[in-house]
Amino acid sequence: MTAGEETPEQLTYERASARIEEIIRRLDSGDAGLRETLELVAEGRRLVEFCAGELEAVGKGLEELRLEELVARLERGGADAPEPPPA
Amino acid sequence: MSEAPAPTGIPGSTLPGPFPVGQYADRLRERLRAFARVQVFGELWNLRTSRTTVWFELRDARGALPCSMWRSDFDALGVEPADGAQVVLAGGCDYYPGSATSSPSFSFRASGLRIAGEGDLLAQVERLRRLFAAEGLLEPQKRLPRPLLPRTIGVVTGERGKARDDVLAGLRRRGWAGRLVWAFAPVQDRHAAPAIAQALRELAGIEEVETIVVARGGGSLADLFAFCDETLCRTVALLRVPVIASIGHHSDRTLLDDVAAVACSTPTHAAEAAVGLDCTAARATLLREARRLDACGRRAVVSRARVLAGLARAPAEQVARHRRRLHQQVRELRASARRRRADAAADTGRRLLVLGRKADAARAEEARGRRTLADGRARLAHAAGAATARRRADLDRLALALAAHDPARTLARGYALVEDAGGALVTSAARARAAGALAVRFHDGSVRASVEDGER
Repeated sequence: MTAGEETPEQLTYERASARIEEIIRRLDSGDAGLRETLELVAEGRRLVEFCAGELEAVGKGLEELRLEELVARLERGGADAPEPPPA
Repeated sequence: MSEAPAPTGIPGSTLPGPFPVGQYADRLRERLRAFARVQVFGELWNLRTSRTTVWFELRDARGALPCSMWRSDFDALGVEPADGAQVVLAGGCDYYPGSATSSPSFSFRASGLRIAGEGDLLAQVERLRRLFAAEGLLEPQKRLPRPLLPRTIGVVTGERGKARDDVLAGLRRRGWAGRLVWAFAPVQDRHAAPAIAQALRELAGIEEVETIVVARGGGSLADLFAFCDETLCRTVALLRVPVIASIGHHSDRTLLDDVAAVACSTPTHAAEAAVGLDCTAARATLLREARRLDACGRRAVVSRARVLAGLARAPAEQVARHRRRLHQQVRELRASARRRRADAAADTGRRLLVLGRKADAARAEEARGRRTLADGRARLAHAAGAATARRRADLDRLALALAAHDPARTLARGYALVEDAGGALVTSAARARAAGALAVRFHDGSVRASVEDGER
């Protein structure tokens, strides 16, 4: 099973980036046929998108919360609980 | 300072005096120094040094004693007792009476010191460490998967400590700017351990928190005992979230360092350990990889399209090439056939000529043969006639010669042949007598005769 087939819950940044490296190594080897190449490129693009999403999530700006605030908000409950206040 | 005249005492007091304090302090020193010199033991704490003297406290569960030692005596021992070390001191009470400008002080003046072993507290930590190891509590945190790039990090630290800035600096260095949840707790008094444990439990209870950093600046080991608390350490060991400890003591490990997933020497390092990825570099790498993938995809298609186009043209070119070659071969074939026909006709003419010549020759040969045969026959006939006549003459001659030697002619002339019974010629009288009976042949026939004479 390749990383590209994993569900988003299972996929982690390290697995995705390791798989991307593997894909590029395979493509660089020149051994992959056309169908495999296109499949690998498509899988690689999906993984790059995933990684970019992960990096974006920790690149929008540091958000600092106090535990008490977060706990209080969680205790109030509601759908907005995990959402941070506007930075 | 000149000694002032003694003031009047307190009215109504029955105690002697008043005495000058310096005088009293001197007497006190004399009395204290008169105390028996002994050996005492306890845990050594708060070691401080001045130019001439080393100061520390000796403690146990029931009490404590301020102690001092000449710096030269202490240095000569060559020991560096850590806080909490169990030591034995030899010495006695002393009192520095002070002066108008300096404070007095009491101390147990040690002339000898021996380190007896780890202090009770350290021994207790060591016992706990062994217990945890036996229970397998040092491992669970280390087995937890640590995300390379957590989105949310919890931090337990003192609110006003330097550790807070260090954590932020470490995260900045990683280029990480996600969500940080601060759980501020006291980090060194006796309330610290339960408060830290509570903060950890609450952080771990928030689903988003993927990693927790426990950070604290440096300090003496005594201050760090909060992080050796059994309940706190058991809490950490069984937490679902990996804990990165930065308790900040380079020489002594706390129990929390042992049970945590990772132990770092500084809060900055702990922050870097919490985010395993250099986000800035990772962004550059990802961009490079994305371009690489695009290039690979494009190249794969374009290069193959080129090959395909080449292949598509190839059959038509191949057919044309074959057609050209075929035409050429047909032309060559025709030319060759023509050439061969002409050659064959020439050959046939040549052969006819040769054959005609050979027929003429054969006819001439036949005539010559026939002539030769006729000649031969004539010559043969002629030769045969001559030979026959010659041979007949020879024969006649021979017949005459032969007739001359015929015995019958001799017998006719009167001679007779004597033969014995067997027909053998008898040519002597002796043989005739021996034979007894004879036949005498004449030219006209034989007669039998018998010999009459006996032998003589």
